[in-house]
Amino acid sequence: MNRIDPDFKEKLKPFGVGNWAECFHCGNCTATCPLTDESHLFPRKGIRWLQMGLKKKISRNLDPWMCYYCGDCSETCPRDANPGELMMTLRRYLISVYDWTGISRLFYKNKIWELGFIVIFALLIVSAFFIFLPPDPAIISNPGAFINAQGGVMINSLSTGLGNEQFLRIIETGDLIMAITVGLLLISNIFNMWYKVILSDPDTRVPLFTYVKEFWRLIIHFAVQPKLSKCDDKKYWLGHFLLMSGYTIMFILIVGLLPKFQVENIYPWYHWQRILGYYATFGILLFLVNVFIRRIRKNDIKLQFSHGSDWLFIILLFLTTVTGILIHILRLNGNPLATYYIYVAHLAILVPMIMVEVPFSKWSHLAYRPFAIYFSALKKATAEKAMKTSLATAI
Amino acid sequence: MIDVERIAKEAQKLPHVVMARDYKYMCSDPGQEKLIGDIKEYKLNRVVVAACSPRIHEPTFRKALEQAGLNPYMFQMANIREQDSWVHIDSEYATLKALSLIKAAVSRVQYHKPLDKRFVEVNSATLVIGGGISGISAALEIANAGKQVYLVEKSDALGGITAKLDLTFPFLESAQQMMKPRIQQVQAHKLIDVFLNTTFAEITGYVGNFISKIRQNGIEKELQFGNIIVATGLKPFDPSSIPEYNYGKLPDVVTSLEIEEMLMHGEVITSKKKEPENIAIIHCVGSRNSKYHPYCSRTCCSTALKYANQLRSMLPKSNIYELYADMRSFGKGCEEFYADSSRRKILFLMFDQENNLPKITKAQDNDTAEMLITMHEKLSGEDIEIPADLVILMTGMEARQDAKEIARLTGVSLCGNDFYIEKHPKLDPVATTTDGVYIVGSCQSPKDIPESITQAKAAAARVLASIAVGNIEVEVTTAHIDEEVCCGCQTCIMVCPYTAIHFDEEKRVSVVNEALCKGCGTCGSTCPTGAIESRHFTDKQILSQIEGLLKTEKEPI
Repeated sequence: MNRIDPDFKEKLKPFGVGNWAECFHCGNCTATCPLTDESHLFPRKGIRWLQMGLKKKISRNLDPWMCYYCGDCSETCPRDANPGELMMTLRRYLISVYDWTGISRLFYKNKIWELGFIVIFALLIVSAFFIFLPPDPAIISNPGAFINAQGGVMINSLSTGLGNEQFLRIIETGDLIMAITVGLLLISNIFNMWYKVILSDPDTRVPLFTYVKEFWRLIIHFAVQPKLSKCDDKKYWLGHFLLMSGYTIMFILIVGLLPKFQVENIYPWYHWQRILGYYATFGILLFLVNVFIRRIRKNDIKLQFSHGSDWLFIILLFLTTVTGILIHILRLNGNPLATYYIYVAHLAILVPMIMVEVPFSKWSHLAYRPFAIYFSALKKATAEKAMKTSLATAI
Repeated sequence: MIDVERIAKEAQKLPHVVMARDYKYMCSDPGQEKLIGDIKEYKLNRVVVAACSPRIHEPTFRKALEQAGLNPYMFQMANIREQDSWVHIDSEYATLKALSLIKAAVSRVQYHKPLDKRFVEVNSATLVIGGGISGISAALEIANAGKQVYLVEKSDALGGITAKLDLTFPFLESAQQMMKPRIQQVQAHKLIDVFLNTTFAEITGYVGNFISKIRQNGIEKELQFGNIIVATGLKPFDPSSIPEYNYGKLPDVVTSLEIEEMLMHGEVITSKKKEPENIAIIHCVGSRNSKYHPYCSRTCCSTALKYANQLRSMLPKSNIYELYADMRSFGKGCEEFYADSSRRKILFLMFDQENNLPKITKAQDNDTAEMLITMHEKLSGEDIEIPADLVILMTGMEARQDAKEIARLTGVSLCGNDFYIEKHPKLDPVATTTDGVYIVGSCQSPKDIPESITQAKAAAARVLASIAVGNIEVEVTTAHIDEEVCCGCQTCIMVCPYTAIHFDEEKRVSVVNEALCKGCGTCGSTCPTGAIESRHFTDKQILSQIEGLLKTEKEPI
């Protein structure tokens, strides 16, 4: 039996803002939503669960992930209860529910923790560089020694006493450690989500075959977000796609292809790596500038209530992008010392950003969303099968 | 639907018809003037109008006849609207039927006899039954106009249910501060005689001249008065008949009147002398459910909001739940009251009133709450469990057990739920079918305080008007008993719904009290010897009407 808990609303406050007590359940939000269907009735139902404080229902519910926050619901709400922001808040809450370490909840509840973590991590990286990979003193006395044939900085040779291959291997190893840590955390959280949503539900026993049959959804929804394209504003999908594809390209270049990407010589501008890099930078930057302006202007209902975690994510990504661009410019310009410092700064922002955002915060939606759609499809397929079986026995 | 021009021409051909005409708005002023002009011009002595229901415009046309110098009863109406054009789909048949109805009216009207208006004097004293907010308001209104009032109350105190309330909705004013000065005014008023602990032995007489025997502390007294205002009020529903709520078995399930008492004493505690952490307020207890009462008690929703607000202020840390079926906080300021309440950390939960009532059970000993309420919440479709330390049942209103007795004494009718029936639900909501008897307050139907007072003052105005006129026109289409023919069987006395016939022991015949008789005709049709004639509904009149009706062709020509 679901026991109601009127204090639950209070517990949800750190995750977002909203006047959900105002909702009188007219259902306009659900009626206007282009993404809701008979198996996912949101956002009204979620508001009701929240008002009653049905914590178990909420933490096992996948509906918030079906919402891509176009904001239509909040615009049609006659009581200004802001149902769209509720879905956003519930997503933040669910991220903290799936995270078994409890770090996510800590970060959402207290921004000092999150900021502190980032700062300490950044300082650790900076000090690691200065202790183990300090800049070669020759950079100042003989900067010309660090310039290659094309007139660009040789990025892997800036540290003292190390050959460029050694330097690259150290960076690559660090990269892999980061990727594996983040990956393990994220995968374990997805397992937790899977346990909460599918395994602990006694009514859903998903056959192995169904897992295989529905697997394509995971890939499609991860790669191109077909659901998001159903929202009325198509620019929204495009912007998101630019960011996502740009980021994915950068991630593959940095983590998987680092030895090919971070090389001593400068490729001509039409080289595929540079073209891809420019595309990624353009995509990410366009999205960021757009979101910055809109979050500050607040004339779009879905960007009126920026949570601290939203700002942090944008700012970190922005700083990462800017330092990345700077490295590129400084290298082309043949400025080895500045390249070294900016390179350290770039990593000191990038690494904590990924460590915080991907497993514990906003960015985890890259995994939770497609998995939620996948799990939901599993549930639906299982339910349909059960229905067919019961009908067959009834006949 | 009806070819009016054609039937006017056909009517012209009927025997004894001097002239027939059609006109669109006969009931309008120009229409009536035409009628008056025709009567004078053609020296008419009888008039038939074929139009709408006599319920609406018979008095209008009778008045027109009077203005033209004719006796108003030399008139007959044929209802070709409700009984014809509104209920048929074939124009030809409808026209034929209209002609038929007109023929019947013409045939009947030739036997109409002039009847004279009769008046009775009005005793200027008034009897008010019931000393609640309605009775007190009516009594004060009449007495302040300088007329004598007898206020009879069954219990030992004035004030009724209102005196048992703490605050009123939606403005949270004190009921006590409202009632106490009014009770004092009544008690001090020279023109109000208050009879507490008093019941009725009998009430006889008729409008303007009632006589009653009252019994106070075993002593009988006689009162005479001209009008009666019935303000007997309500009885709170007893929730122990609802098994789901376990009222009477669980000590912390209380009724609305019980919580009023706690609130009035400024202390809301559970049976374990603790402040309740979780308070559930259940709406519609005994109301809007075919097992108990089908009707809405109208005041409970707003009263429940009042409790939630009072408790929110008294116990700021408590959780307050309103378990409602439909929120009906209508009335001035009440919707706003609901809106404000919804922002005061009060959780509203909707249940199915007809098929799935919430169930209150005792919680396990190790539970944080004393009781648990399980219910199917309609807005989410979930089965939920609510912890509760105190449950308030919003008991509805029902008719008093003695409603039937008072109805018999005063000649008022009861509806299916034993509330009193007004003369007309819209046009005459204060009067009853018995002249001189008015109903006010919750004895008519569940009402809140302003509605009760409105009705009380309306009734007082009606009473004062009749006193001001000094006499009252009574029905002239009454029954009349031919003493020569009456065999004294008294069957008529048994069937008369208005107790208007009594038996003259000396002459051994039945006698009609014409002030009480409504001319319903029941006695006339029951009388085995044909001694009773209902004026304006004589055998001859009715038979000729039927003859007229049967004279018409049944198929289109």
